[in-house]
Amino acid sequence: MTKRASQAKRPNLDSVTTINQDGSRFFLHPSDVSGRYVAARRFAAILLIAVYAGLPWIRINGQPAVFLDLFSRRFHLFGITFAAQEIWLAFFFITGLAFLLFFTTALFGRLWCGWACPQTVFLEHVYRRVERWIEGDAPARRRLDAAPVSGTKVFKRVLKHGVFILVSGAIAHLFLAYFVSIPQLYAWMTASPREQFGAFSFMAVSTGILYFNFAWFREQLCIVICPYGRLQSALIDEHTVNVAYDERRGEPRGKLGTEGAGDCIDCNRCVQVCPTGIDIRQGLQLECVACTACIDACDAVMDKVGRPRGLIRYASEQALEGKPTRLLRTRTVVYGLFMLAGIAVMLFSFSRVQPFEATVSRMTGQPYFLTEEVVRNQLQIRLVNKRNETAAFRVFLEDAPPGMQLAGWGEAMQLEPYEERTRPFILVQPREQYTGRARLDIVVESEDGRNRLRRRAEFVGPDPRVFQ
Amino acid sequence: MSSPDKNRQDRDDIPPGATLREHVYDGIEEYDQRLPNWWLWTLYITIIFSALYWIVWYTFRAVPSDEERVTAAMQEIEARRFAMVGEIDDETLWAMSNNPNVIASGRAVYRDQCAFCHGDDLGGGMGGGLPLDDGIWKWGHAPVDIYSVVRDGSPDPTKGMQAWERELGPRRVAEVTAYILSYHDSDSMETAPDSPGRASER
Repeated sequence: MTKRASQAKRPNLDSVTTINQDGSRFFLHPSDVSGRYVAARRFAAILLIAVYAGLPWIRINGQPAVFLDLFSRRFHLFGITFAAQEIWLAFFFITGLAFLLFFTTALFGRLWCGWACPQTVFLEHVYRRVERWIEGDAPARRRLDAAPVSGTKVFKRVLKHGVFILVSGAIAHLFLAYFVSIPQLYAWMTASPREQFGAFSFMAVSTGILYFNFAWFREQLCIVICPYGRLQSALIDEHTVNVAYDERRGEPRGKLGTEGAGDCIDCNRCVQVCPTGIDIRQGLQLECVACTACIDACDAVMDKVGRPRGLIRYASEQALEGKPTRLLRTRTVVYGLFMLAGIAVMLFSFSRVQPFEATVSRMTGQPYFLTEEVVRNQLQIRLVNKRNETAAFRVFLEDAPPGMQLAGWGEAMQLEPYEERTRPFILVQPREQYTGRARLDIVVESEDGRNRLRRRAEFVGPDPRVFQ
Repeated sequence: MSSPDKNRQDRDDIPPGATLREHVYDGIEEYDQRLPNWWLWTLYITIIFSALYWIVWYTFRAVPSDEERVTAAMQEIEARRFAMVGEIDDETLWAMSNNPNVIASGRAVYRDQCAFCHGDDLGGGMGGGLPLDDGIWKWGHAPVDIYSVVRDGSPDPTKGMQAWERELGPRRVAEVTAYILSYHDSDSMETAPDSPGRASER
């Protein structure tokens, strides 16, 4: 197959355009496209990249806005600190997000892929822009691919891949900053790789993976690896709004002036601009990431030939058949309810997170001790201060059996930021008031009285009849 | 759909270059498309990796297993602990009890862990601990005796003094012992009455 023939490759529904018959890769060079959706998507992408790059730098309550501190197992999210013990909250967060994705997919198709997925955001708005800037437009890039090795070609390729590696390195460094924070990252960056071999190799490997993905792998990730694209057929129905070609209006295709032809002039612009190499006129396909490039391309052509825009547009199958699109349907209601349930439980459980944690356990040795006067239980209490400020806690008993006393907890206990401390917790009860095992509540209260935790404990001892 | 025939590949409803598999089940036919080469290469690399992995891990055992690494780490901890304990004798404990830094950290440990039973000023407390300021040493009046009671707990398990080494580590056990010793001097300790606990043991 010659280069010229491969350029003319026409997408079909039976095979993947980007994989040739012999299994080799067909490298796409989507044409330039501009229009309102491209502009809006570029704006969204810049915003998302700014958020991604900015979050580790912004400090809230003395910690980065997002800092998943794996080393000390403290997770700082927008000024709230979670301990490893609260990882169960992530369940509600993740299921809430998943149903949010289901919900939006049922309503509007793969909005996520086209507008917000990092693969699309970085590929379309960073890497492809660099490629366009260095190697020129689509025909120029194809010519360069076909050209024999020359000084210019080597220069352009080295420059392009050099920039790609730099950008990949930046993305990887920012990613690591979410887990180790900027100061630690900077300390590693300025140290010799030999001293920070683990961090250095993590960085080298992740930069390599990102570079490979964005320089070469590209749409293969969306088509072959990403499960979400495959799930969509289970999530959408005929009312789902997708990027779609209006067959009733467009067919039969014909050049301008053809008798009886539809609005599609078969200019093939929608195919040329597609970053996954499909022909949207063949209907919704799993390769489509709903990037809207074909909408803008077609609208520009329609403007030129004086026909109304929207031959390719956001529309549901129902709308294309001239029937109304319903937003409220069993599917969206069920997904919406699941989403609301997830969000509600998430908000509820997040709001109940305490700024400290307390665990009561028994000290080693016998379960209880007897002296001439008292029965004694030796417990210990572990307090964790989860906030970035010194905090004091009172500990006292509730529903305690008669005469029971707590040794040594008269004054509030001070904990430094993020400090974790274990202290003995000695319970004594006079023999004459002892009536057997008893349950009691150990209450830990912050000094301002706003937050309190209650821990159930058991006071054990011998059968009370031995004292008679 | 018709049964398989020799000319299936020449039909015009399949794209040029595509081939069909031999079989037809319930009228369903299947393309014989090649997998992407990058996919096949991923497979080949995993096969090579698994062979290398097998050789390195199981044939030559070139990399220590997790179990061996844990054992080695535990042995190192034990060795350090013994090294620490080996340095402890009466003289070092007395020397430590004159070092203000050691006393300060020993006091912090005492406040946190000991005061509940033994009292804020070593005078004994409500938690049931013996007083430590009265010159009576139940389990021996040498500094190393006190050190081993803190480290290993009371020889009498019905009394409630637990072994603290696991929780505090050998350094802080020594520091808190030095803190207790700072309330005493070597002359009066040496002439302390024979320990009742030791006496009953004999």
